Amino acid sequence: MFEPKVKLDKALYEKIKMYASIAGYSSPAEFVHHALEKEIKQFEGADSEEEIRKKLKGLGYIS
Amino acid sequence: MKALYYRLRYGRPIVLVSGLPRSGTSMLMQMLEKGGMPIVTDKIRTADEDNPKGYHEFERIKELDKTTDKSWLKNYRGQVIKTISFLLQDLPLDLNYQVIFMRRNIEEVLRSQNKMLERSGTAGTLVPDEKMRQNYEFHLKKVYYRLNHTPNFQVHYVDYPAVVADPLGEAKRINTFLGRKLNVEAMASAVEAGLYRNRQSSARHA
Repeated sequence: MFEPKVKLDKALYEKIKMYASIAGYSSPAEFVHHALEKEIKQFEGADSEEEIRKKLKGLGYIS
Repeated sequence: MKALYYRLRYGRPIVLVSGLPRSGTSMLMQMLEKGGMPIVTDKIRTADEDNPKGYHEFERIKELDKTTDKSWLKNYRGQVIKTISFLLQDLPLDLNYQVIFMRRNIEEVLRSQNKMLERSGTAGTLVPDEKMRQNYEFHLKKVYYRLNHTPNFQVHYVDYPAVVADPLGEAKRINTFLGRKLNVEAMASAVEAGLYRNRQSSARHA
């Protein structure tokens, strides 16, 4: 199965490798995966979405 | 080419009039109705001071984010449904959509929404405008990304002040986008500049 790849510059990759090992991740890929998920959660879960939902509900535009 | 493929695969598109609430979507609905497009509305929400010409809404679409069975949407191919921007993410992707997306200055939108909330007596729960402006800006970035990167959507963006300034020109552009033979003069006659309230002196569009 095809898996997408992301290019990183070498210096950053070396840092990822080091910190992944120090922090106890099984691989740099696992560390990157975890870091990105955490970052994306900031945007997705966001209070902002809930605030919009409440406002639109108050205005009668969603149920 | 991609549009043709999706047309063949998913059938005739549903036409969606979208945007933030209070951005002029009802006016667009009126234009399309006058132009001869079949409008999907249950008329449950009736005209009031905030929307003197009516809302042109369909209650069922407001539950799109809470229901899993969305197969009923197929019955409305070729017709127009008003769908606020917040609900676009909940549309099923086994259909094809032509989206007319109304853009309006966020300050104007907020002012209009706040007035509406004040009239309904629920203004006490308001999130500060500055925070809501940020929320909407971020929300719209996500919406634009989705619309521009999902092949099921064909999008035509319309700016509210431009419609008020040149209704016939905008009606013609909408007609071309939809690929129909709508009555553009009738569409233009639905636009009343007097209803452009909560106007910002220097408009910045969302």
